Amino acid sequence: MKGLILIIEDDPAIRRFLRATLAAEDYQYYESVTATDGLAQINLRRPDLLLLDLGLPDRDGLEVIRQLRETSRMPIVVLSARGQEKDKIAALDLGADDYIEKPFAVGELLARIRAALRRAVGTAQPGTIFRFGRVELDLDSRVVRVDGEDVHLTPHEYKLLQALITHSGKVLTHRQLLNEVWGPNQVDQAQYLRVYIAQLRRKLEVDPARPKHLQTEPGVGYRLVVDT
Amino acid sequence: MKKSGTHNGIVTDHALRAPSGPAADSNELPREAGVALLLVVIATGAALALRPHVAATNLAMVYLLSVVATALRCSREISVAASFVSVAAFDFFCVPPYLTFRVSHYEYVITFAVMLVVALVISTQTTRIRTQAMAASGREARTDTLYRLARRLAGENHVFEMARAASTFAEEVLPCQVVIFLPDAGKINFSRRSADLLPVPRAEESLAQTVFETGDKAGLGIWPFKHASALYLPLRGSRQVVGVLAAIPKSAAHLDREQVRLLELFANQTAIAMERTSSHHAAEEARVQMQTEAMRSSLLSAVSHDLRTPLASITGAATTLRSQGERISPETRNELLDSIADEAERLGRLVANLLDITRLESGVELRCDGYPLEEIVGSVLQRMERQLRNRPVETRLPENLPLVYVDDVLTGQLLVNLLENADKYTPEGTPIELEAEATEDAVVLEIRDRGPGFAEGDERRIFEKFYRRNAKGVRGVGLGLPICRAIVEAHRGRIEAFNRAGGGAVFRIHLPLANQS
Repeated sequence: MKGLILIIEDDPAIRRFLRATLAAEDYQYYESVTATDGLAQINLRRPDLLLLDLGLPDRDGLEVIRQLRETSRMPIVVLSARGQEKDKIAALDLGADDYIEKPFAVGELLARIRAALRRAVGTAQPGTIFRFGRVELDLDSRVVRVDGEDVHLTPHEYKLLQALITHSGKVLTHRQLLNEVWGPNQVDQAQYLRVYIAQLRRKLEVDPARPKHLQTEPGVGYRLVVDT
Repeated sequence: MKKSGTHNGIVTDHALRAPSGPAADSNELPREAGVALLLVVIATGAALALRPHVAATNLAMVYLLSVVATALRCSREISVAASFVSVAAFDFFCVPPYLTFRVSHYEYVITFAVMLVVALVISTQTTRIRTQAMAASGREARTDTLYRLARRLAGENHVFEMARAASTFAEEVLPCQVVIFLPDAGKINFSRRSADLLPVPRAEESLAQTVFETGDKAGLGIWPFKHASALYLPLRGSRQVVGVLAAIPKSAAHLDREQVRLLELFANQTAIAMERTSSHHAAEEARVQMQTEAMRSSLLSAVSHDLRTPLASITGAATTLRSQGERISPETRNELLDSIADEAERLGRLVANLLDITRLESGVELRCDGYPLEEIVGSVLQRMERQLRNRPVETRLPENLPLVYVDDVLTGQLLVNLLENADKYTPEGTPIELEAEATEDAVVLEIRDRGPGFAEGDERRIFEKFYRRNAKGVRGVGLGLPICRAIVEAHRGRIEAFNRAGGGAVFRIHLPLANQS
């Protein structure tokens, strides 16, 4: 048994295929149609991960995230409609771990679920070497190497990279990154952030116009993809 | 001379309020009589001073001068009276024996007669000319006022705003409060008015309705409702009455004839302007309606075909799998499953495109910020990795390219559509190039391919909705490029397409620069 997943989704057709997929992949699952029932199920069953639809009949899905995050760090993957960047950002800022746009392919959904469960188990520890692609980062000595050669990062670039590594695989909103690197007074300066990301890409990516690792989530934020 | 000039100036200013000539105002009579008397006294003084040196008949000229001066300033009646008084004064002071009306010579009778006739002619003619001049300047002032009203009305596009502008204007020019009432379903409704507060009693609504129906003015000063609180005038357009204007005098006095006439002119002009704008609106609405209809029908025919085809394959494949699942070979089974997935994806793209164009056309709000073009291009290429896997895509973006000021999601969509378009219309394996350069006020991005290019005239038509190029085996609704144009235009940018030297197509986009401080 790989883990217990709670689905809060009001559309029966989507629930049906989620059920089939999760069962085939050996996950255990429970279903809720409303936010109220979902929150009750979470208290009762303590699932390992929540698949949450934002458009619920009784309450806004964002409200579920807010309430849940008061007490729990359980991974939350949001099912969102296309083009609703505002909702995605709100969900992530409230503490959701990831989102996936409807309509989605099953393979992608499973990858997101696996990644979220993995992150919940353990994150990068200081004192280790972190690697992605041709980049190697010593979290102790703060030395960054690309193809074995030392690369100089400015303090802000380093902090930015560190923030992405700490949450590797997870989408970080502009606001979250700005808050972590520049502090809470700079959270509106997304243009800053983009310029720094562009610089990081030039230093770390093979082709900065087709980044493999420092990926953009349009309208939402960035994600560090480690295994490509 | 200077004095009369000033006087004329005052006449112009007051022409709107009392333009009906010098005799109009009865309060002026005592003042004018005084002026006339004073002029006779002055003439007499001058005549007495000159009497030892000149002949008596020439002294008559001094009096004639005073008559001219009187006629220039006073009404006709006063001038005529001044003529008689002058002749009498001349007789009394200048004709021997002095200080009596007796005359020494009968020939003086001729002098008196001629003097009287000349004085009367002068005073009558002078006052008439003056009245005409005043009327002319009054007309000029009125024309000017109407012209100003017309200009104000021309600045408004809605009937209601026009009513507001016209009543404000009338209040500036005339000593009364003005409110315009507009009909609601053929009835004058005091709630549809140009002023915030209702300055007349609600009970007079029926009076206004009568004015609206008959097209004749009624109310204050006009029997049988002469004690109403306002004068109601119809806003008479060329075809019908479009509203009612109510004028409430500021002082207790009624409006005079001339003021009422001016109000009527205002009302007519406002009515005609209102009529014009509402017919303009009606025509515009009809045009938009027609366009919408035409668009809707071409949309329906294009969309129904493009929606039905994938739906038919999905339904067909799914029902085949359900009813004959056991008997189908594994390969066929996979083919059917693939076609379900592919067609569903195609359907999804179509629906997304339709939603996009609807959203863009209804005036979507852009969320612009400064972006490195590289980032937008990067995320687009990443998204399209699978689709473009069989194609060399060459990107050349200079490192020092300035930030562009765009909505990243929409601009990403723009690039996706252009790359999909290039992918669709060019043979597999041929390269696509993406190159940008900065100009003074924009970043210019070009997407080039080595496909067949455009047929003559297609360079423009491809941006029209539902236009499809003649190309074999290409499926699509013809919405991708119109969406591109809508996105670029929403950014106040520019997009153009042309044939590439050496074969192929070029799409060139101008994106606005971010303010780099």
